[in-house]
Amino acid sequence: MDVRKAVEAAHRTEWVRVLSVLVRLTRDFDFAEDTAQDAFASALETWRRDGIPTNPGAWLTTTARNRALDQLRRRQSLIRRLPLLIVEYPGNDPSIPDEPGAFADDRLRLIFTCCHPALSLEARVGLTLRLICGLATSDIARLFLVSEPTMAARITRAKKKIAGAGIAYRVPGRNELPERLSKVLAVIFLVFTQGHTASDSDALSRLDLTRLAIELADTLLKLMPDESEVLGLTGLLHLTDARGAARLDAQGELVLLEHQNRSKWDQCKINRGLELTKRALRSRHGGPPGTYAIQSAIAAVHAEAVSFDDTDWPQIAALYDVLLFITPSPVVAVSRAIAHGMANGPQAGLNALEAIPFDPHLKDYAVVPAARADLLRRCGRYTEAADAYREAARLTGNGVVQAFLNRRIVEMRQVSS
Amino acid sequence: MKYMLMLFDNEDWWNTITEEEIAEDMNKHDAFAAWCAEQGFAITGGAALQASPTATTLRRGNGEVLVTDGPYAELKEHLGGFYIIEARDLDQAMEAARHCPMGSGTEVRPVWDISS
Repeated sequence: MDVRKAVEAAHRTEWVRVLSVLVRLTRDFDFAEDTAQDAFASALETWRRDGIPTNPGAWLTTTARNRALDQLRRRQSLIRRLPLLIVEYPGNDPSIPDEPGAFADDRLRLIFTCCHPALSLEARVGLTLRLICGLATSDIARLFLVSEPTMAARITRAKKKIAGAGIAYRVPGRNELPERLSKVLAVIFLVFTQGHTASDSDALSRLDLTRLAIELADTLLKLMPDESEVLGLTGLLHLTDARGAARLDAQGELVLLEHQNRSKWDQCKINRGLELTKRALRSRHGGPPGTYAIQSAIAAVHAEAVSFDDTDWPQIAALYDVLLFITPSPVVAVSRAIAHGMANGPQAGLNALEAIPFDPHLKDYAVVPAARADLLRRCGRYTEAADAYREAARLTGNGVVQAFLNRRIVEMRQVSS
Repeated sequence: MKYMLMLFDNEDWWNTITEEEIAEDMNKHDAFAAWCAEQGFAITGGAALQASPTATTLRRGNGEVLVTDGPYAELKEHLGGFYIIEARDLDQAMEAARHCPMGSGTEVRPVWDISS
């Protein structure tokens, strides 16, 4: 095997393991990152000479760990500019070898620290992609359409806040877990949605972000295999991703769920998603299902339908009723109205849409006029539908979606004349 | 670590407050102190401030210090008081802030440790 490829593969799968151990040992993000990068660089050299080790992850962790300890001894006398991270760890004596299981805990510590609620959402996303996924700052900046210095400043500021404000490097206790876990899941979901429907971009799917989000969810699931919401989110991402190949036609145009060629859906991903969804709904520790468990259940009902007409719409509408109850948000209310439009006819959908109280968040949300347009079209009110399609086309930032809406405007003109 | 909990509130409330409400508010602060003692958080400092119209601000101007009537920043909500507490980390400090009587908002800020 090519050594460069082996190191690249190890970087993808082992980066977070190596870095999270180093962060605990050094209590300094920058120092830990530099040392981890050195270890990967030395792997390239050493593996060329001695061959690729049977367990690259263990080799990298040991090498990085030894380098860090060596550096720490030399640095002891230096005056530090930044406060060190607070690490609460029973055996945080670097001279004691790590116990089995400590790595898993370290990765969770790093994930929860990067997604701490005292950091802004933007900072959490930047830190997660940088520290957990090991992405270069320039790549993160490109994916989120900001300049590299802007992204670098955002990440640096977040690291300084973690150390300075005393955000501890630890896994939250059981009582804090639901709130803290929801922050982690929100970051993963945001990375996925950013990749899935990239606004202000003409390429509909930024596959890198989608893949990264799924890898993050899979990693978290390995570390927390019984958490309902982790299962739910991972299931939701697999089920949504399974439809990826059917979302665009040969010309790169958006294909609605209604017209998607379901044989193009990735059955392997669907099966994985369905299994995760079932586990999410089962392992609730007695509590009500969470938002991701319900969303994955909705995606599962779609995935199990052989055709659009065959979809169990009453079931989907009922799931949206539950979702709106547990996560009251205007965006969910709009999706619920669409589902009722399918289950109980377009007039029921319009009524549900009209019943949503005014919310400033919905003012520039293209889905609202797009949904209204579709319901009006199905009621045969073509002129009003055309106006609503125009409104949606004006609001969307996605070129592919815009092209679809423009086609609909033309169709409305044809049927109404 | 030491943290300052800065308690912000709309001062209009103070102008219409009754004796009973003041007593009730004081009870809440006593309860917070009791909760801190129970949890093992040391409160190492704190004070309630008089309303912002009593403030005088000194500002650096063109080579001289300018004195103005009123608080440094004209806000709708003002700093009404503060605590300095000893906590293990930010999570614990935030937990304390949640138990502390809250006006319109509470800012949690780490205190620079100059001892080490």
